[in-house]
Amino acid sequence: MKNFLLKLLLTLLCAFFLAGSTLAGEVNLSIAASLREVIDDLSATFSKQNPGVNFLKNYGASGTLAKQIENGAPGDIFISANLEWMDYLKSKNMMDADRIRTFAYNTLVFAGSTAKQVATMQDLIKLEKIAIGSPKSVPAGEYAMEAIKKAGIERQLEKKLVMAKDVRECLMYAERGEVDGGFVYRTDALQARQAKILFTVPQDLYPRVTYPMGLTLAGAKNKEAEAFYKYLQSADAAAVLEKYGFGLK
Amino acid sequence: MFSLALTDYDAISLSAKVAVTATLASLPVGFAVAYVVTYLKFRGKVLLEVVINLPLTLPPVVVGYFLLVLLGKKGWLGPLLESVGIRLIFTWKAAVVASAVVGFPLLVRSIRIGMESIEAQLIQASRTLGAPWYDTLFTVILPLSIRGIVAGSSLMFARSLGEFGATIIVAGNIPGVTQTIPLAIYEYVSSPTSETMAVSLCVVSVILSLVVLFLHEVIGRKLVRRA
Amino acid sequence: MEIRVAAEKRFGSFTLAADFRVTGERIGIFGVSGSGKSTLINLLAGLYEPDRGEIFLNGECLFSSANKINIPTERRRIAIVFQQPSLFPHLSVKSNLLYGFKRCEPEQRAIDFATLAAVLKLENFLPRGVNNLSGGEKQRVALGRAVLANPRLLVMDEPLSALDDTLKFQIIPYLKSVSEQFRIPYLFISHSLVEMRLMADEVLVVADGKIVEQTTAEELALARMGQSRIGYINLLRLSSPRRLDGLFAYRWSGGELLISAGDDQPEALFELSSKDIILFKRHPEAISARNLLRGTVVRTFVSGNSIGVELACGGQRLVAEVADQAVKELDIVAGSELFLAIKASAFRRLG
Repeated sequence: MKNFLLKLLLTLLCAFFLAGSTLAGEVNLSIAASLREVIDDLSATFSKQNPGVNFLKNYGASGTLAKQIENGAPGDIFISANLEWMDYLKSKNMMDADRIRTFAYNTLVFAGSTAKQVATMQDLIKLEKIAIGSPKSVPAGEYAMEAIKKAGIERQLEKKLVMAKDVRECLMYAERGEVDGGFVYRTDALQARQAKILFTVPQDLYPRVTYPMGLTLAGAKNKEAEAFYKYLQSADAAAVLEKYGFGLK
Repeated sequence: MFSLALTDYDAISLSAKVAVTATLASLPVGFAVAYVVTYLKFRGKVLLEVVINLPLTLPPVVVGYFLLVLLGKKGWLGPLLESVGIRLIFTWKAAVVASAVVGFPLLVRSIRIGMESIEAQLIQASRTLGAPWYDTLFTVILPLSIRGIVAGSSLMFARSLGEFGATIIVAGNIPGVTQTIPLAIYEYVSSPTSETMAVSLCVVSVILSLVVLFLHEVIGRKLVRRA
Repeated sequence: MEIRVAAEKRFGSFTLAADFRVTGERIGIFGVSGSGKSTLINLLAGLYEPDRGEIFLNGECLFSSANKINIPTERRRIAIVFQQPSLFPHLSVKSNLLYGFKRCEPEQRAIDFATLAAVLKLENFLPRGVNNLSGGEKQRVALGRAVLANPRLLVMDEPLSALDDTLKFQIIPYLKSVSEQFRIPYLFISHSLVEMRLMADEVLVVADGKIVEQTTAEELALARMGQSRIGYINLLRLSSPRRLDGLFAYRWSGGELLISAGDDQPEALFELSSKDIILFKRHPEAISARNLLRGTVVRTFVSGNSIGVELACGGQRLVAEVADQAVKELDIVAGSELFLAIKASAFRRLG
C-alpha cells in the first residue's frame, strides 16, 4: 500500500511539474485583449484544418504581456496593441526582429450607457466617472490619455478616471453602468450589449492604433507556431478581421 | 533610487484616510457585535458567528464581488441607495466598506477575547449594585476590554493598509480617489517600465506597517501597566 | 425581613428545589460545597432565573413563573459580597465604594459615606487602586460597596473563606457592626458552624439542592456535635489577662481560666471543644489539668453517638461531650453537681 501511494505521489508531482513545459503541437499565444474574439475564431479554424495543434491563449494588456514574456513566460506569438511594447521586447532581444509584421488596425471610440448627452471630447467634462485602461500597461489607455491631453481636458478629468487592467475590463465597467462610459476600441464596442458608441475619438488626437505581431525566439523554432503565423497573414485571416471590424490598411 | 511621484503621495494619504475611516467606523459596530456574541445566548448564535468570520476565510475578491452584487447600480440594494442619493461603487467610500468588511472578523475576534477575559463575577457585582445592562456595558465591560479593542483596531488598520482584492473590485483603481498603496503598486508592477517605481512605494508600505505595529505594542504595554 | 421561596432550577445533573419561609434580620445558610447554597442566592438576586416557582422578599414578588414576573437584578436591591471580592480593577477604592451608591435614587441613599468609611477603617485607602490591597482590605471594600448601595438585603456568600483564620475573626466584627449600625438585614452563607453562630440567628441547612432543616445556629451546632470531629465548640469571650506561671489567667465567672495560648490583648475570643472537658463526680485529687471548675447540669441531650451535657458554671454555660456509658456510670441528670477539668492547652485563640 505504501509503495503504491509513493508511486502515485511521484506521478502526480511529475505531472504537476512537467505540465508547464511545452509539448509538441502546442502554440503559446500572448495576445492583446481586444483581439480575443478574432483570435479565438482564427485559432479554431486553424485547429480544424490542422488537427494535433493545441493553442494556449493568454489575453491581456500588451504591457503586462510583454513583461510576462520578458520574465520567461512561455510565448510563441506576441500581438501587441501598440508599437511600444513590441519595440520593448525587440530591444530586449526576445523577438525574431525580421519577421515582425502589422496584423491589423483599429480606432478608438468612447462607449457607455449614460443617459447624458455626450458627442465630443469636451462633453466628457460633464461626466462623473470615465473608465480608461491604465496608461502604464494598456495601449488603449495610452491612446486615450494622449487624446485627452491633446483635447486639453486632462486637468478637468483628473480624479474621474477609473483605471482598468485591460481594454476588456474597461468595456465591462462601461457595460455595468458603474461608470458613465469608457475608452474602448470600435471592435470592442461592436461586441457590447448595453454600452453603445457615443462618439468616435478624432484620429488627429492620437496615433493610429496599430497591432504589430511577431514570433518570439522560442516561437521561431516552433513549427506549428510558424505555420499559424503564416496563416495569420493570409487572405482568409484578413476576411475574418474585416468581419470583426478591424482595419487592414 | 527612492523617488515618489505625485500620485504616490495621493496613494499614501488615501491609504491612511481609508484605513482610519474604516477602523473608526467599524469600532462601535464591532464592539456591539462582540458584546452580543460574548454575553447573549440565543438560537442561531452559531450562524451569526459563522457569518461574521466569513470574510476571514473567503478570498478578498469574492468578498468584493459580493459587495458589488449587493451595492452596485444593478445590485440588490443599488436602487434603494440611488433613491437616497448614495453612490458607493468606485468612490473612496467603497474602499472604506471593502476594508471594513474584510477586517471586521479580526476586530470582533480581538474585542471578544478581551471581553471573555473579564471575570463574570464583576458583571454580576455591577448588576446587584443597581446597574442595568447598558450601564454595566459602559462602566465595566468597555474599560476592561480596552486591550482587546486596541489590539483589534490595529489589526484592522494594518489589514486595511494592505487590502487589495475587494477594494479593486468595488472601489476600482482611480488615482487620487481610490488608488490606495496596494493598487498603485499593482499598477506599477503590471508595467515593464514602471517596475522600479513600485519599490519606493513598497518601502513606504513597509515603514507604515512597522509604525503601526510599533504603536500597537507601545499602547498595549501602557494599558497593561495601568491595569 | 421575610424571605419566601418555592422555586426550582436545574443545571445538568444538579437540581435545586428550594421551599422555605424565613424571617429575621440575620439569617444563615449552611451547607457543604456543592450543596446548592450559591445557586440559591443567585436565584434570589436574579442572576439566574428559576425554571419555575416564585420568590418573595418582604411580601414583594421578585419572581413568579405563573404570573410571568421577573424583576431584573438591578432593581431588586439585593447586594452581594462574594467569596472573591470582585472589586472593579479599573476603579479606585472610593469609586468602588460609591458604585452602587451613585446608582441609588437620592431618597434611597440612607447611608453616610464618611461614616461607613470610618467604620470599615478605609479612610486612608480611598484614593488608592484596589489591585494591591490585601485580602482582608479587599473584603472590607467589597462589604462597604455593598452596604453603600443601601440594599434591602445584604447577602454574604462565604465572605471569609478566602481569608486565613486570624483575619477571619478580625473581619467578623466589621460585618456585624456594619449591619447593626446601618440596620441592614443580611443572609450569611458559610460551611463553618462557628462563623454561623457568630453571625446568624436562624439557619437554613442546605444539602443536595434542598432545604433540609430550619433551626437556630446554636441548636444546629449542638445537634451536629456527635458526628463532628471537633465536637461542639464552646465560644468564650474572655478579658483582663494576667501572666501567671508561664500561662495567661483570664477572668471568668468569678474565677480564672488558665490558658496557654493567650496573650496580653485585653480581650479575646477562645474556642473550647466539648471533647476537651472531662467530668468528675467527686473532686479529683492532684490532676495535671490547670483548670478545675464546678458546674451544675442543666440538661443532657443525645447528639449522634455521644451525649451532650449542658452545664451552668457560675452563670456561664459550657457543653461537654461524654459517652453514653459514662452518663450511666456517673448518674448524670439535670441538677447533678459535677467537677470539670480543662487543660490550659485545650483553649484555641480565635481572634
